[in-house]
Amino acid sequence: MSKVPITKAASNNLESSPKYAPVRALKQRYTRQNLIAVAILVALAILIPLLPQVKGWMLSQVSLVIIYIIAAMGVAVLVGFTGLVSVGHGGFLAIGAYTSALLTKYFGVDLIIGLISAMFVSAFLGALLAVVFVRLSGAFMAIGTLGFAFFVGTVVNNVSIFEGRDGIFLDNNVILGIRIEDFGFYYTSVASLLLVTLAVYCLVNSGTGRAFMALRDSENAAKASGVNRLLYRVLAFAISAGITGIAGALNAHVVNYVSAEVYADIWYSVDILIAVVVGGPAILFGPYLGGIFVVMLPFFLERLADFSFILKGVVLIAVLRFAPAGVGELILRPLRIARRRKLRSVAAGLRESEVG
Amino acid sequence: MGEHLRCQDIQVSFGGVRACNNLSLTVPRGKIIGLIGPNGAGKTTLFNVLSRFQSYDAGDVYFEGKLANDRMPHHMVSMGMARTFQNINLFKDQTTLQNIMTGAHGQIGNPISAMCWLPAARRRERQIEDYAIHVADMLNLTPELENEVGNLPYGHQKRVELARALASRPSMLLLDEPVAGCNDSETQELKELVFKVNREMGVTVLLVEHDMSMVMEVCDFIYVINFGANLAMGTPGEVRANKDVIAAYLGEDDD
Repeated sequence: MSKVPITKAASNNLESSPKYAPVRALKQRYTRQNLIAVAILVALAILIPLLPQVKGWMLSQVSLVIIYIIAAMGVAVLVGFTGLVSVGHGGFLAIGAYTSALLTKYFGVDLIIGLISAMFVSAFLGALLAVVFVRLSGAFMAIGTLGFAFFVGTVVNNVSIFEGRDGIFLDNNVILGIRIEDFGFYYTSVASLLLVTLAVYCLVNSGTGRAFMALRDSENAAKASGVNRLLYRVLAFAISAGITGIAGALNAHVVNYVSAEVYADIWYSVDILIAVVVGGPAILFGPYLGGIFVVMLPFFLERLADFSFILKGVVLIAVLRFAPAGVGELILRPLRIARRRKLRSVAAGLRESEVG
Repeated sequence: MGEHLRCQDIQVSFGGVRACNNLSLTVPRGKIIGLIGPNGAGKTTLFNVLSRFQSYDAGDVYFEGKLANDRMPHHMVSMGMARTFQNINLFKDQTTLQNIMTGAHGQIGNPISAMCWLPAARRRERQIEDYAIHVADMLNLTPELENEVGNLPYGHQKRVELARALASRPSMLLLDEPVAGCNDSETQELKELVFKVNREMGVTVLLVEHDMSMVMEVCDFIYVINFGANLAMGTPGEVRANKDVIAAYLGEDDD
């Protein structure tokens, strides 16, 4: 076996390549800076609600924004990092919502159990759906997922356990045996968002994420690198659906009510997709901007109800035309370019140490 | 040393065109084998068959002594076969380091533990990065590690592709026209690299190339194909002297 000596030779040569150390150190510094920024945001998110001016309804509204951000994160895993389009993630939102709602209604489970179950059920169904859709590409997959959203809508409308348009009313939310109100729910949403963001960060910065991005950027190169296209597409779908499922469960509990009136509507799917595209699908921070945009625009333009739809469309077109990588990318570009340039120059400097 | 890769009576048709017509070849372990032929002879098609990018109508492919007819490209990579492409296939918006690390995909282990950053997975990740840097160093790509591949000159991109292939720690390397479009110094550099990979890392190399000086210099043994069929085979000296080969390349003499 000639494979053995290669590996051996390789491991003998691996003394953690000290030559690359300066670049590694710089990367670690950037990671630390990112972490500090995140820590500040988290501190703000925890402290601001403690101000006396903050009312419960405001926190509910922010929770709604967070729900959209989480849903958009799920879609971003698929659209931004794996290069697959889904117009049907409202279906997973519904699956998450009903999973948690039914469990709460019939078994009185804790909200945390509800969220976790919603994630797993949604991920499982996402994987099943992916097995069906995985060979479709581009527009065909978009149409297929759209069909899935309609299918879910029809099911919740007509199967009796989902109680159709009458909907299911839920008791107040319970976490670890304690009843929570707007405040508690807000903190639950923040914690969920933090965990989801962390999970997506770890995913993107792992071999699994590299395989996703490989499939996105060049199918041939991905195959030649040994990426199992079908397996990783299914995995991406499952992860994406699981994350959106969490958002769905939160969405059910923020108002303690689910009904087909809401979840049979295809606009959920479209809204999430708009959030992703506007914010920037391939950056972690993109869904944040997109979620804020999609939820807060109608909120501020409440009196001009229909006008906000038009404005959404206009903004979407403008973003696609002028900042196809999303608004988030536009905002972060100066920082990114500066960091990349620095990294490049440090790496380029490695040549001299090699020669000298 | 035994055979490493063998294909027998491969037939591929595209519509009415027979791209491969009963092609057979054997690649012994540890050698550099050349595959040459005029344009349209079916070299790249055969390459795609061997790396399982292309389905075929009849014939068998054996790799490491195992029948590989039903394998997918990623199976071949995990069995130790890596390849490059005639027209470069890279992740253009990603850095050189990311490109090379993607080549080591087979070493990430279980994708779930990798994405959860379990300690064992992180150790693997670190090893992958170290090895990628090591390979980049070997191919003189260290200064370009943090550069997006799309910004690199053509010759560099060719080397990044080679580095990505090597990152999978292959036992056999399939190179599709590695020096096409390269200038003399780049060609020279790649020639030395192919030697290095073969002699120092013990990797078997199968090479499609139009640059005759390169082929004649590096290959231990050469297969010549024409119109999708085996035309000749032998050492570089034998092939150079073969009348059929000269005729195929220069055209038949009428008298």
